[in-house]
Amino acid sequence: MSATWHAAPEVLDRYAAEDLNDVHASSLEAHLLRCAHCRSSLSARAQSPRLEAVWTGIEDALDAPRPGVVERLLLRVGVRGHVARLLAATPSLRLSWILAEAIALGTAAIAAQGAAGTNRAGASLFLFLMLAAVAPVAGVAAAFGPGVDPTYEIGIAAPMRSDRLLFIRATAVLCASLVIAGVAAVALPRSDWTVTVWLVPAFGLTLATLALATWVRPIAAAVVVGLGWVLLAAAASIASTDPLAAFHAGSQLLFLGLIAGSVVVLARRHAAYEGRIPT
Amino acid sequence: MSVPTVEIMDVHKRFGRTPALAGLSFDAPAGITGLLGPNGAGKTTLLRMAATVLAPDSGRIRMLGWDPSVSDERLAIRRRLGYMPQEPGFHRSFTAFEFVDYIAILKEMTDRRARHDEVRRVLDLVGLDGVKGRRIKTLSGGMRRRVALAQALLGDPDLLVLDEPTAGLDPEQRLRFREIVSERAADRTVLLSTHQTEDVSALCPRVVVMLDGAALFDGTPRELTNVAAGRVWLAAERSPSARLSWRSPDGSHRNIGDAPAGADLVDPTLEDGYLLLVGERAFAEEEAA
Repeated sequence: MSATWHAAPEVLDRYAAEDLNDVHASSLEAHLLRCAHCRSSLSARAQSPRLEAVWTGIEDALDAPRPGVVERLLLRVGVRGHVARLLAATPSLRLSWILAEAIALGTAAIAAQGAAGTNRAGASLFLFLMLAAVAPVAGVAAAFGPGVDPTYEIGIAAPMRSDRLLFIRATAVLCASLVIAGVAAVALPRSDWTVTVWLVPAFGLTLATLALATWVRPIAAAVVVGLGWVLLAAAASIASTDPLAAFHAGSQLLFLGLIAGSVVVLARRHAAYEGRIPT
Repeated sequence: MSVPTVEIMDVHKRFGRTPALAGLSFDAPAGITGLLGPNGAGKTTLLRMAATVLAPDSGRIRMLGWDPSVSDERLAIRRRLGYMPQEPGFHRSFTAFEFVDYIAILKEMTDRRARHDEVRRVLDLVGLDGVKGRRIKTLSGGMRRRVALAQALLGDPDLLVLDEPTAGLDPEQRLRFREIVSERAADRTVLLSTHQTEDVSALCPRVVVMLDGAALFDGTPRELTNVAAGRVWLAAERSPSARLSWRSPDGSHRNIGDAPAGADLVDPTLEDGYLLLVGERAFAEEEAA
């Protein structure tokens, strides 16, 4: 089999000098398998010990299985190979979870669109905004911890710090949730500032969950924070003439305070994530 | 005797009202130390502590000269540790290669090529080279345990903590496991729990028998076997005075304990010594009650 394109000489130079990042190296190795011309060009560039390393790389490309959809997507957007693998093992970054979240938020947005102009318009919009704010909380709860991550116990015994792993995963989950909610928000009947009022609460609730998870399991923290938010937001909506009362400026300020407080707790207590084993 | 790499000193641990370890003390030098004991004896709790994933309520533990209760020292231990839990969990949609690769990343192997070489090495070592591209959910129970063993061998650790590593392995796989572990035990420390006295006989120069969260016996397999010396009898019938008695494949009864009438004294096995030791304690407790 021959390829219809050839690697640029500077790419081959950088590969031979081990100066190519993992993503591009993998891509080039996959191409080298099919392209005798590029293999020959690379051989001319590589010194003997280096040549051995090149063939190891090709063997690696042959052996290493094709990554899953999420991992490929992460590699494509520039995430480093080993971080992409760590994220691919995150339960709440699996395709099924992402699809479920997209369906829930998409349905809520479409319902809000359908209710536009009726007396249910405010309540439907409130439902979407409340879900958009709480979605990353559920994702973070399912990202790491005993009872959620099947390799938790092996992971705890490994040198990578648990707080680092949790923060990497929580960041990815938060980003994924923000993108999904942002895309779903396009279907909302309004296009003013209202469609973004869930952003600060989403950050605040996620950080509060991570902070609380330094005392209790992430799942328990998420249940407390998520349920607390749903009840408070619903109570504010019922008590006020405006169904979106929970998202007004005063609430946004409170959430900014929650973010600041959570950051302080995390800075002081992040080491507490280690060693929480189910009994 | 070499310097101990695992030191357990008067360690206590409770889960709620249930005591799991009750003043356990022993040392493990380089080489293989086998932990024997019935379910609930505290073996898994001890191995979790040795793997730095569980802290004792009281007492002292030192691993490879470091104190796991100190953050930096715990990290130093983890960098030289391989751990296979009793019930290893898997990301079932990963292939065997991807799973071991994932654990290698957790073990700070970030260079992709070097890491993949190491993943291939350990999968080859446990005889899974041919199935490394298969999803874990399609592998048999025995193969999954070998995947779990492979991840524990990553980086050729100085301390291997293996909780019932041979459970679910067929005889051939068990032999292969013994070969892998014994090859690594010369200048490293292996702490393993098992229900198989054959594993202990074949592998361990040292055995600790645990019961009710404490060390009931600490010595060589030969010494454990000798616990039953002069107390194992073959007779036509089950002896009412025997601590333990069961029917052999040839139809005779193997009685452990006091001599029944007309019985022949036979050489004890390691299993006889273990059963007598654990049975004696249970018998003494019954009498005391």
